[in-house]
Amino acid sequence: MNVSVQFFSYFKDLAGCPRFVAAVAPEATIGELLDVIYKQFPKLEPMRKSTLVAVGLEYQDRAYVLKDGDEVSLFPPVQGG
Amino acid sequence: MKRELTITSQAIEEAKLIAGRKMSAGMGAAVYFAGVVREMEEGKAISAIDYEAFKPMAERQFHLIFDQVEKRWPIESIRLIHRVGIVKVNEPSLWVEVIAPHRGEAFAACQYLIDEMKRVVPIWKKSV
Repeated sequence: MNVSVQFFSYFKDLAGCPRFVAAVAPEATIGELLDVIYKQFPKLEPMRKSTLVAVGLEYQDRAYVLKDGDEVSLFPPVQGG
Repeated sequence: MKRELTITSQAIEEAKLIAGRKMSAGMGAAVYFAGVVREMEEGKAISAIDYEAFKPMAERQFHLIFDQVEKRWPIESIRLIHRVGIVKVNEPSLWVEVIAPHRGEAFAACQYLIDEMKRVVPIWKKSV
């Protein structure tokens, strides 16, 4: 199945693109999606622990089971204010 | 609780915001906070900060924080404005106002709101 992934802040620079579509196994978790992402964009891997992940507009943890067509966002810790 | 949330590239006009304040007769505290861009960021001189937001998620996360504020304190209204794009040194990037019956809950809610914003609202900054 396919999920769209978008990057924010300096993750866009490290990935070299603002978004891409990832092909993952049915019922893949966010953790498994991250493995796919790090293979394609290895410069993101050093931030693995601090990376925040949202599906749609909500934060989700690494065990979250993805659905076909999910919109996943990856970004570094936030810095508003 | 009334909520006004604005994420904008336009300058924050504090005088206009203060002039537009509305509070009912039972309210005794209006606390407002302006977060202003400093000339130094991580030990380096800067001229501005470029703010980026994942806007729909930022709005959603702000409203979840407002929900928590509403549960914890008897707040009449919140107005919050956050800039995106280039904000020059000495200009406000954030403006928050909390109206409550008493100062204790107004200060506490304002502090909580900003602490939570810095934890969960997807906004990032880049020094310019």
